[in-house]
Amino acid sequence: MGWWIPLRSIWRNRRRTVLSIGIIALGTAVSFFVLGFVESSRRLIQESTVHEYGNLQIGSPDLWNGTADSYDRLIPPDAVAQIEAALAEEPTLVGSTVQLQFPGLLARGERTQVVRATGVVPGNGVLEFNDLVFIGRGLAPDDRAAILIGRSLAEKLALSPGDAITLTLTTVDGAYNASPFTVAGVFRFTSEAFEQQVVFMPLGYAQRLLNTPGVDRVIASLSSLEATNPARQRLQSALRGASLAVDVKTWDELSPFYRQLSSYFSALFGFLSAAVSILVFFIILQVLTLAFLERTREIGTLRAIGTTRAQVFRLFLAESAWLAVVGSAAGVVIGTLLGLGFNAVGIEWRPPGTVEPVRLAVQLGVATAAVPFVVSVAATLLSALFPSIEAARLRVVDALRVE
Amino acid sequence: MGEASRFCHFRGERLLEASRLTKIYRVGGEPVYALRDVEFVAPQGDFVVINGPSGSGKTTFLNLIAVIDRPTSGEVYIEGEPTSTQSEGQLAALRKTTIGLVFQSFNLIPVLSAAENVEYPLLLQGSERSPRRARVAAMLAEVGLSELARRRPSALSGGQRQRVAIARALITGPKIVLADEPTANLDSETGGAVMDLMRRLNEEHCVTFVVVTHDPAVSKYAKRRVRILDGRLEEGGDHGMVDSAS
Ligand SMILES: Nc1ncnc2c1ncn2[C@@H]1O[C@H](COP(=O)(O)OP(=O)(O)OP(=O)(O)O)[C@@H](O)[C@H]1O
Ligand SMILES: [Mg+2]
Repeated sequence: MGWWIPLRSIWRNRRRTVLSIGIIALGTAVSFFVLGFVESSRRLIQESTVHEYGNLQIGSPDLWNGTADSYDRLIPPDAVAQIEAALAEEPTLVGSTVQLQFPGLLARGERTQVVRATGVVPGNGVLEFNDLVFIGRGLAPDDRAAILIGRSLAEKLALSPGDAITLTLTTVDGAYNASPFTVAGVFRFTSEAFEQQVVFMPLGYAQRLLNTPGVDRVIASLSSLEATNPARQRLQSALRGASLAVDVKTWDELSPFYRQLSSYFSALFGFLSAAVSILVFFIILQVLTLAFLERTREIGTLRAIGTTRAQVFRLFLAESAWLAVVGSAAGVVIGTLLGLGFNAVGIEWRPPGTVEPVRLAVQLGVATAAVPFVVSVAATLLSALFPSIEAARLRVVDALRVE
Repeated sequence: MGEASRFCHFRGERLLEASRLTKIYRVGGEPVYALRDVEFVAPQGDFVVINGPSGSGKTTFLNLIAVIDRPTSGEVYIEGEPTSTQSEGQLAALRKTTIGLVFQSFNLIPVLSAAENVEYPLLLQGSERSPRRARVAAMLAEVGLSELARRRPSALSGGQRQRVAIARALITGPKIVLADEPTANLDSETGGAVMDLMRRLNEEHCVTFVVVTHDPAVSKYAKRRVRILDGRLEEGGDHGMVDSAS
């Protein structure tokens, strides 16, 4: 059958066609824009999460299953060497480092704050917290009782570089230890909670305070976010082969905040996309029902000269498919223009729970456009289904009698 | 019975036959007898004009033999095959290949040009592009519309539209062409030209025509006249136009 016949029919009532295409395009553009926004926000949060956790963390199962206070979770140096050997085989590895995290109580005079003290290897080039320092200096490998604190904590305890504070902790043997520190620098981070609760010190000094040669995790940084899951699988089987009792966690598993936000984003987009699709569905249903009704006599004629029901159905569905594809494509173009405009203006926003404003952007491109495009096409075809079936089911003589 | 023309030798086949054809409509529970026990036979090459007043059952009868409607009882045979047991798809295939239809109000597809309207049944048959185009051109030439091939129906006169419709009905080479009041929307001169055309095509293509009309003037084009009154069919007896062969 002539593929152009549906196109001709669409072109007949131009105003209605433009209206239909406009509605489909608008729906697609809104969905596309919102999805682009959601995706770029998700990307920002992914990046900051990976900046906080690395792509992968390798540690004892105890580290993540709630018994974190027990120092049984520590990994001895020989196991660290084995893990690092396995990591060296990983093609996407950029670098790795180790950390030793432990709870402590930071005190300055009367004021105290429970912190997660983190022994880091300064200059490790993988998770470089020195980069976050904006007042004072970062940590050096030969530093001893030097500590980096977050901006919010510095404000809360009224601390600035050079000030002295005391960190109270429990050693691996169960003894109390209170150690004086000097604030080397103040760092800032995207999350306020992180700024308040995390402090950094050189790993060697942390190990001395706790009286252990161990670390509690090995952190691997990979070439991309997308490399995370394949690398995790390779690493897991390598480590199982070496019969090491360690787990490999990905950055998203480690960050409940990311998971919550990510599912919130998905729900937000899902809800909006569904609402838009339902709206498009009903409007197009209305338009097509009317349009097809006006052509009852034409349908009768087509049938009378030998067109089958199936062919009438296909003809009308094909018309709607053109509308769907042209409308959705136009929507992608409009959404792209909107997004480009939005990105050019450059709006900044400070998300709740964060301290740094982020530059809002809309992620454009084929990958982002695919979902709104497919959803709009599907919604339109679905709304065309019922009128097309009705058109195909008409009795010929009844249809021919209609004026 | 109608005579065979010079070009079209009557073969005595019962090309189109209706037997005990009855159609009852129900209007508010009351039966309306639109057709009662109609018997009808048309051989190949016949040109039958069925006359009758308004409401006598002409359209009902034509729809039944065009297999776009089903009788309450009785049977329509096309080329000897009963149609009541055939599926919708089989009937559509009959309409596509064996039967051509011409309507009172032309019923052209408004978005298609004259040539495309004529081409449409061939598209349905899936015939190939270049022989298809050639056939359309030849058909348009036969009905005298070569110059207007690219025009949309809205840019054609009533007579021109009906000639497009006749070309569309004939393009697939059907054995039967059925026309319901083909001249009713035309002035008498144009209507006469359309009837002349149909009669010529009847001769040249040996196609059986059944034309129903309330217009007595159309009867003179008939090889055979039939009257319909209150849903009953009766042979009109005398012959119409003198056959070119005689
Ligand atoms: N769908 C229908 N429902 C009920 N009654 C109908 C229907 N179609 C036709 N009739 C009735 O059947 C009878 C025959 O109608 P039909 O349309 O066949 O007449 P006609 O000879 O074609 O008339 P006209 O010359 O006005 O076109 C009429 O009494 C008409 O009212
Ligand atoms: Mg009628």
